[in-house]
Amino acid sequence: MPHNAGYYHAAYIIVAVVYGAYALSLWLRLRAVRRKHDQGSNGVRVD
Amino acid sequence: MTTQFTSDVRAPAVASPQRTRSGISWWFIVAVIAVAATYIRAIYFTPLEAIQGPAQKIYYVHPTSAWVAFLAFGIVALASIGYLWLKDLKLDRVAESAAEVGVVFTSVTLVTGSLWGKPIWGTWWTWDARLTLTLFLWFIYVGYLVLRGAIEDREMRARYSAVLGILGALLIPFIHLSVYLFRTLHPMPIIGKPSRPSLPNEMLETFALAFVSFTILFIALFRARYRLAIERDALDAQERG
Amino acid sequence: MGPSTLGAALLIARKDLAIEFRTRTAFFSAAVFALLAIVIFFFAWDPTAVAGMDLAPGVLWVIFTFAGLLGLNRSFSVELADRAIDGLLGAPVRREAIYLGKALANVVFVGAVEAISIPAVALFYNTPFGGRWLAIAGVALLATIGLVAVGTLFSAMAVNTRLSELLLPMLSLPFFVPIVMPAAQATARLLSGRPVVEAANWLKILLAFDLVFVAACMMAFPFTVEE
Repeated sequence: MPHNAGYYHAAYIIVAVVYGAYALSLWLRLRAVRRKHDQGSNGVRVD
Repeated sequence: MTTQFTSDVRAPAVASPQRTRSGISWWFIVAVIAVAATYIRAIYFTPLEAIQGPAQKIYYVHPTSAWVAFLAFGIVALASIGYLWLKDLKLDRVAESAAEVGVVFTSVTLVTGSLWGKPIWGTWWTWDARLTLTLFLWFIYVGYLVLRGAIEDREMRARYSAVLGILGALLIPFIHLSVYLFRTLHPMPIIGKPSRPSLPNEMLETFALAFVSFTILFIALFRARYRLAIERDALDAQERG
Repeated sequence: MGPSTLGAALLIARKDLAIEFRTRTAFFSAAVFALLAIVIFFFAWDPTAVAGMDLAPGVLWVIFTFAGLLGLNRSFSVELADRAIDGLLGAPVRREAIYLGKALANVVFVGAVEAISIPAVALFYNTPFGGRWLAIAGVALLATIGLVAVGTLFSAMAVNTRLSELLLPMLSLPFFVPIVMPAAQATARLLSGRPVVEAANWLKILLAFDLVFVAACMMAFPFTVEE
């Protein structure tokens, strides 16, 4: 049997890291947009 | 001078979409569990393939990502047609979300395909019909996203993206045909490519689990990206109006 | 599509070509670029490894796509000044006619660049065309229709964005592959003296591409100039 486990280790790590990083980026961007939106709404002057 | 801070104020309901609930969605939790289960099963509870060796295990993550990449593009194409027909920005948000998630899955498909090709076929890249088609899918996705990024006007962005989404979908069969014709001309030397063996049940089950898990992951990521699209459009409407 | 659409298209094509002919800058730029590129490819080539005849089709078709892109860029940028496009859109002319007219003008433009490039390649790469000029011109025409169909539409879109010079090649090139590949294969067959029928087989995919994309782009064009 060939000794090529390294390739599949690399692949599995990359898959987890990339999808995880993307999910994280979505969460961060969502948080940033929500924050900006809330600031805009909350800063409404009613006087 | 007082400024009333009120959290009841939301973006005007008419022009912009409603805001979304915050918090982690169930889809995401299920996706993480499913993918983790796939990993554990693939790594520890699935037999090794005798001829190809451990690298064969890439098979559980590569075609599964590829399927999602093409599924996402199908969604982009359908949403694009829908948008040009109905002019509903919701459909454009669907297209934009599917495109972004799709390009991530396409990139992973290309990288894992390369990592699979090297030990199995002896080369990092081969102009294999499917890999080449995936490469072109990637180019179309990137063009689509760059186009979106280059247009400020919301409505024009939706319209132009929809046109590109539809044309891109039309292109796919032509690329497929071109690559096929090209390869019949130029038999590519592939070193030691094993013919695809029929999979024993354990491997099939792992593959099925992987297939379902990554599809759930796609749904979770798509929903999150769609939420982002809604929030961003609401924010833009508020900043404008 | 009635005669008025075609008539309008021809008028628009004539207008564009008249503007082009008056200044000729764009044409000269594209032609000189093509010639320079042909020369550079020559210097990048190892004649002991590859025969001129083997290299020529590839060089020819790569040059055509890039020179074509240069030409396509100007197709709608010319309308930007003073929002000239509004005049066109205000006229009682179907949108499809505008697209067809622009595309026709582009075919002439790109065709003219090709007409210069082909003899240049024959000359510099010692690749006699041996009486196959007409067949090669036919291949070039079919391929040019495809290149221009897609390029004209994308040029209409790109001109409205911030990154128009980058965006046009980026969007167009994936679409050029199913054109360039059969065109280069057919040209190679013709140049190496193989029976014309062999080249004709490659043209089927070219023809299919042209039919599909001329129709699709013509239908899509109104969406790019909606008010």
